[in-house]
Amino acid sequence: MKLRRSAKAELQVKTEKARSKGVSQWNIAWRRFKKNKAALVGALIIGFVMFLAAFDALIAPFPPNDLPGFRAIPSETRVPPSFKYLFGTDFVGHDVFSQVVYGARSALFVGFGAAAIAMSLAILVGLIAGYYGGLVDNILMRFTEIFLVIPFLLILLVFLKVITALAPSGAGGLSMVTLIIGLFSWAPNARIIRGEVLRVKESEFIEASKSLGASKRRIIFRHIFPNVLHIIIVLTTLMIATAILVEAAVSFLGFGDPSSITWGQQLQKANEAVKEAWWEGVFPGLFITLLVLGFSLLGNGLRDALDPRLRE
Amino acid sequence: MLRYLIRRLLYLIPLFLGILIIVFVATRISGDPVRLMTALTPHITPEYRQRLTEYYGLDKPIYQQFFIYLAQLFQGDLGESYVIRQGTPVTRLITDYVGPTLELQLAALFLSLLIAIPVGILSAKRQYSKLDVSVTTTSLLGTCIPVFYMGIIGIIVFSYLLGWFPPAGAHSIVPEWYPFGSYVIDEIWHLTLPTAVLTFATLAPIVLLVRSSMLEVLRQDYILAARASGLSERRVLYKHALRNALIPVVTYVGLYFGGMLAGAPITETVFNWPGVGRLFVEATGRLDFPVIMGITVFITLMTLLANLITDITYGYIDPRIRLE
Repeated sequence: MKLRRSAKAELQVKTEKARSKGVSQWNIAWRRFKKNKAALVGALIIGFVMFLAAFDALIAPFPPNDLPGFRAIPSETRVPPSFKYLFGTDFVGHDVFSQVVYGARSALFVGFGAAAIAMSLAILVGLIAGYYGGLVDNILMRFTEIFLVIPFLLILLVFLKVITALAPSGAGGLSMVTLIIGLFSWAPNARIIRGEVLRVKESEFIEASKSLGASKRRIIFRHIFPNVLHIIIVLTTLMIATAILVEAAVSFLGFGDPSSITWGQQLQKANEAVKEAWWEGVFPGLFITLLVLGFSLLGNGLRDALDPRLRE
Repeated sequence: MLRYLIRRLLYLIPLFLGILIIVFVATRISGDPVRLMTALTPHITPEYRQRLTEYYGLDKPIYQQFFIYLAQLFQGDLGESYVIRQGTPVTRLITDYVGPTLELQLAALFLSLLIAIPVGILSAKRQYSKLDVSVTTTSLLGTCIPVFYMGIIGIIVFSYLLGWFPPAGAHSIVPEWYPFGSYVIDEIWHLTLPTAVLTFATLAPIVLLVRSSMLEVLRQDYILAARASGLSERRVLYKHALRNALIPVVTYVGLYFGGMLAGAPITETVFNWPGVGRLFVEATGRLDFPVIMGITVFITLMTLLANLITDITYGYIDPRIRLE
């Protein structure tokens, strides 16, 4: 008897609280997101890699640029995975596992950095073009078209080569790579964002706001932007995944920053040694796949959770 | 329609020129090509370097160089390679290397579509089934695995472990080594592994696209109407649903065509496949201006053409646009 009564009282309190507080769109999205197992796996993977990146010096058994006069101890080079060298060693004698751990930070840096640059540009162009329309829209779209049509990988290689040729000392190398990737990746997302803005612009509540006399700026920031936000979040997450893949590809081809440790770099060096030392390439590649998968799952999960068209 | 076409074509010209200018300027500010050209000749005199610079017109101001390049371009002259294949006309380089690239890319695209479309449809039809789940998981993974990694794994497994296929190149070097006797079969034998890898990489996003597009179409009212009016499930699926579901796929493939030639570098580098992509990587690495510009011109033209055709086709097959 006592239990039933307190349970009923608890339910009453909960309903009252919910009614007064209201359930926001974000709450709904969060609940939906929690149910999506794949998305949670993705988040877990990202968390794991972030953990590696944050504590890389503590986790990796060997220091990153372990080159005290090239530790070319013949017995230690090209050693298959063992207890001492978890993932084996490469042709110089570096521990592949340590390099993978240190590479995590570079991967996340490039991923987040390039996505930040690309998305900032995309949001700017997309919002302005979508909202103001007319001549502004036209000009911005022509500008976007240039970046859409340029053969992405080719132009990337050219610019990377130019940057490395002009500034051979690789101190800011990875930042340069990040910048260039970001600078050429914004166009498709700008187009998508513009499309969303156009769609939201047609909504009735925008018309209502306008007839109530809201200023243009208020409409953009208070009404349009929050509704485009869900697309922006999803696009950003997927953009991070793409950026990591692009950096890996570019480093593999030899156009990355030679002074920093990235997984793509490891694969480049491993390409020659595939026959004798499979572990040089297999493990870094595995981590690239894993991280990209993590962000992809997260992005898809966010898309499903935030989609306003799916009713609960 | 015609006016739209003409307007588009007019837009393309400044677009094309814009891209050319960007690449032109970018390459030329990155260093002195004469120095690169003569890097391997140690006792070269400064006077000879000067003569070379004048010969190639590299001492002129950059806008003059660009106009000269444009003029030559109109005559179909893309110049000669500076560094990687000294003296060879770029046009001949491209024609020599474009064949293998097209072989690889077209084979991969064809196989991808052949597999991806039916699989996508099936997956959509049986949503949430075990088949669907495994298809979506595999495809998602396929979009996340870097192509070169797939290539490396493929080489390890199928070339070194199993010994079924050669790890690199498009042909066996010595004819006596042709295992099956014929040149063509030898080429196909070499083609298999790269094509398999590229096909998997290409079909992954297409499967996901077909599946999601199909799912969206199957939710529509007109499908329900078709079913209610007594049409067989097969007819509903193939005659009504598929046509509409394939529209985004056509757009995707059209745009893919544009980027096809440009996207080759990675696969070609892994398998040492003698194609335009690998040539471009080599040229960019050694800063061979004419080759870089030449390939860029070629690929940009192809991309613009492909985009235009895709736009027209899309406008034609999507009745919502056609009737506007």
